[in-house]
Amino acid sequence: MNFDALTIVYILEIIVGGLLVGVGVHFVPVGGAPAAMAQATGIGTGTVQLAAGSGLTGLLAAGLMMSVTDNIWPILASGAVGAMIMIDATMMTGGWIYAYAVGAPFASAKVNYDPITGYSQPPYVAPGTVGQGIPTVCYVSGTIGAFMGGLGGALIYYPLMMTNHNPSLSALFAIGIFLVNAVLASWNIQGTIEGFHDPKFKRWPKAFRSCLVATLILALVAVTITGGA
Amino acid sequence: MTVAGGAPTAPAAITPEKLRIYGLGGALVGIYLAAVLNSVLGTDIFSILAAAGAVAAAVTGANAVRRVCGYGIGTGVPSIGMLALGMGIVGASFGLSTAQQLGVSMAGVIIALVYAMVFGYIVGAIANRVMGFNIPIMEEGLTDLSGAGAMAIIGWSYAISGSLGYADMVTKVFNTGYLAIVFICGGLAILHPFNANLGPDEKQDRTLVNGLMVGSLAVVAVGLCSLATLSTTAAIITIVIGAAAWYYFYVWYYRLVKRDAAAVVGTGLLPPSAL
Repeated sequence: MNFDALTIVYILEIIVGGLLVGVGVHFVPVGGAPAAMAQATGIGTGTVQLAAGSGLTGLLAAGLMMSVTDNIWPILASGAVGAMIMIDATMMTGGWIYAYAVGAPFASAKVNYDPITGYSQPPYVAPGTVGQGIPTVCYVSGTIGAFMGGLGGALIYYPLMMTNHNPSLSALFAIGIFLVNAVLASWNIQGTIEGFHDPKFKRWPKAFRSCLVATLILALVAVTITGGA
Repeated sequence: MTVAGGAPTAPAAITPEKLRIYGLGGALVGIYLAAVLNSVLGTDIFSILAAAGAVAAAVTGANAVRRVCGYGIGTGVPSIGMLALGMGIVGASFGLSTAQQLGVSMAGVIIALVYAMVFGYIVGAIANRVMGFNIPIMEEGLTDLSGAGAMAIIGWSYAISGSLGYADMVTKVFNTGYLAIVFICGGLAILHPFNANLGPDEKQDRTLVNGLMVGSLAVVAVGLCSLATLSTTAAIITIVIGAAAWYYFYVWYYRLVKRDAAAVVGTGLLPPSAL
């Protein structure tokens, strides 16, 4: 394995992909158990599960595109769009459950006015909770997060595919890199986050630094792995 | 059992150092024993030894999870189990691939273990220094966890492929998609024990026996996969031993749960007026 210019480009692509995943996770509204009980805004599951779900959908979409073409742009685009569809579908059906089954209004207690619609939030927040449901800004933020996650996943998958030419190996390896970055980012968030309007969002530079170091070490070995045979 | 007349005897804790040697060392011994016996005797029925070694590694991982998560990491226990397998899969494929390129297939397991543990230490250092976790055993815990993840993946993958050669591993475990089963079952064996037992009365022996139980279930799953890749005899040996181990540890775990549970007092049915 010789480290020529192309290998360095591949390493850089994997690093950028890992950083996109790490930062993108901060955009996705997750609430864990409190959100499942409609006491907090966000999707009622952990960051890693959501990030993994959207990342895997993105990987599948990117893999499908890669079976047709070697051009990087459509592959990246389909990865990003695949992840966005997954998160949006999750948030939309989650919203239906909140609205029609739980009967919770869409409101956030972290801001006084919705940054997008400008609607007042506090009158709709049930006492003792931090808001319920997924307000508009969470939806937009989640879509941006999924775009970055899916783009990152595809950006990790593409160079791996170009070096080892084995789709299953590349996909599983990409999942490994994806999970490391998603877990590091969710440790930075420590539980719940609503999206880019959440005060915790300001912590993203820490995750950026952490993901940079971790992905660098992973990328250096990832490009040396062959596709077997 | 009777617990009247004093608290039940507190179980002697197994130190992390001992568990590391038993778990990671046991995994190395199991995998290499399986590889040597299989190749010397020209058979594949010893693959179960590698699967058993992977169970030992998973128990080390489960102990690392309970030590780190005991401090509270704010994201739930499953995330750290996924991290273990994420680090493990990179370490495992790097080790086996490098060993094949160097022409020494047998060294792959050791390369994977060393790389995984170094990477785990670095991630632990990042978590403490950059994220500001300030968990004193974070580096140590993630080193164990990463090594355990890599050993679990290699051990169970060996039980499917019956060979330490990277090319065989790729054709029989990666390309068939069985690695996904190893990934999920292995992840469960590492993350589930503490997730299921956490709380103020969490006891090390109960958590670890739960780990052995879930690990044995993973052996059964791996055995079912190996029906398609190994000889039927080898696959059935793996399935039967896995199922027997699961039953044994299930009974043991049930005994420990009864030991630690609060007393359940029957009060009879509710009176008709209360219904």
